Amino acid sequence: MAQLHMFWPDGTALPRLEALDIFHIESGGCTGCALELASLSRALLAGNHPIRFVPTPRQAGMLLLTGSLTVGMAPVVELAWQAMPGPRVLAVVGDCAVDGGLFGGNYAVLGGVGVRARSNVSLPGCPPAPDEILAALVRWQAAEGKR
Amino acid sequence: MSEGIVALIRQGAPTPCAGRFVLEAEAWQAMIAGLSAADLPLLGLWSDGVQVHALFHHDPMPLVASVVVSSGGYPALSPVRVGARAPERIIHDLWGIPAIRGRCDPWLDQGRWPVASPLAAHPAPTPGLPEGREFIDDAAVRQAGGTVLGYGPAEGNFRAPFHLRLGLPGARIEAVQPCMGYAHRGVAARLRGLAPQQAARLVARIDAPATVAHQLAFARALHNATGTVMPAQDVAAGVMLGAMERIATHLDVLAQASAIVGDGRSATLAASMLEQMRQICRNICGRRLLFDVIPPAAAFLMNVDGTQLATLAAQHALLHRLFWRPRGLAAQARGKGVLSATMAARLGIMGCNARAAQKGQGDVTDRLEARLGEIGASLSLLAAPPESAVMEVEGGGGEGLGWAEGPAGPVWHWLRLEAGHVAAWWCGEPSLAQVQALPAILSGAAYEDVDLIVVSLGLSATGADL
Ligand code: SF4
Repeated sequence: MAQLHMFWPDGTALPRLEALDIFHIESGGCTGCALELASLSRALLAGNHPIRFVPTPRQAGMLLLTGSLTVGMAPVVELAWQAMPGPRVLAVVGDCAVDGGLFGGNYAVLGGVGVRARSNVSLPGCPPAPDEILAALVRWQAAEGKR
Repeated sequence: MSEGIVALIRQGAPTPCAGRFVLEAEAWQAMIAGLSAADLPLLGLWSDGVQVHALFHHDPMPLVASVVVSSGGYPALSPVRVGARAPERIIHDLWGIPAIRGRCDPWLDQGRWPVASPLAAHPAPTPGLPEGREFIDDAAVRQAGGTVLGYGPAEGNFRAPFHLRLGLPGARIEAVQPCMGYAHRGVAARLRGLAPQQAARLVARIDAPATVAHQLAFARALHNATGTVMPAQDVAAGVMLGAMERIATHLDVLAQASAIVGDGRSATLAASMLEQMRQICRNICGRRLLFDVIPPAAAFLMNVDGTQLATLAAQHALLHRLFWRPRGLAAQARGKGVLSATMAARLGIMGCNARAAQKGQGDVTDRLEARLGEIGASLSLLAAPPESAVMEVEGGGGEGLGWAEGPAGPVWHWLRLEAGHVAAWWCGEPSLAQVQALPAILSGAAYEDVDLIVVSLGLSATGADL
């Protein structure tokens, strides 16, 4: 079993990961979830793992959203989704993205994409830790593989 | 000269908030006239719908001058304090209150809010603009000609969203137009009517990299408003947790900056130190990110393992050597993104970015060096915690102001309580001044360096937009 070296001594045991390019958008939270994603991204990069965070939606297979979806970010998210190729999936990470969390709907916020669109991966937490985010991605890959 | 203005402000009517005085309209005008020649930095400007408040830096205690809003608005401060430009536009966005002789075009509202003036007593519904607000290039962009490039709001990175419209007539940026509001969550509207404990949870989630500073500034404002002293144990916890936050956030900035310039060794080392720091936070507070730690739990024990601290100190020394090695991060960032001491003073920018500007020329290297230095100082502080005393309160009449030093500069919170609940609230954050400084900082930069420059400032759109 592969090890994910999360920069701390013990590392995390990993099953085989499938290649996945993820485009992340922070859509209006506190960036706590994004900080944990950054930790995950660095760990994956350091271990040459095939899950990568990419700088453009045009090559991404997964759109991963954090934050509560402000009215300003809604069209940006929509454009990114439209720009993604082929079969694409949506992941919502953190309470904000799942249902708005502490930043529920108001004049500036739509209150989370998770309640508006069908997501393939949905992970609550404020914020979920990097290993929990990775576990959710691995669970989804495993479920997809069985189909 | 500034003493004359200070005396003028102090002649205003005292309020329940220590250091805040309400000026008559003529005195406010006289203050504006005198400010052009006075050295009194403006740190914040906000409204509660009835009055407009201006926060000035003054030793030993900050000063707040307030004026009652008339039917036509209030006389603008922006002609004498450039840092007032964005807050004046924000006050107009949120309350519909215009700054007389200031700008009233939107700063936060890009035409997509369903109501105008959402904080006003009777917000008016608006149809909104289906396509959002169109960019109207200012004279600088038009004159720049050439190419217009965008930066943000979705770059696939892990930072809060904002947009820059950059005019490049040649290889260098000449015109910069920031577009904010993407990260605006209406925090002020959410806090109204909340009990302080509920409010504190939301305040902790204004901006994750500076969460301790926000919690601490809010707690201090609350203690001042309620007239209850902050116990020495809470003060001590604030100092130590603030140091932990500073180390983590500075390491995050250094890891990002190293990765951007392709310095893999520094990036890996900084990221590895950051993860150790997050682990220390988890051991002490039960969570990797320091949300909801102030006021600390009764059983809270601040005790960082000496071996872990020694390891971090050794790694910090190595990071320092890597930073200064030939063709290292320092050499690659030299001369980029200059924020001069003069510009910092004009915009009321304080904290580590201002200190970097005072020590050197104020480029990316100076800012990163300042952060490296603060990591070392904070590690020493964790190794030998100072004695803490109770925080004495100022005021106690239901209104309070508090501040705390965050990783990117001071964070301010002001609040007014009614029947034990938050009736009005404001937060001042270093990022709003940084955004206003971006046109000067990015002028002459290459497009490829925008990311590095923005990262080195620690600019957070969530803090600027609220
Ligand atoms: S879920 Fe929590 S940590 Fe994540 S962005 Fe929202 S408030 Fe921040």
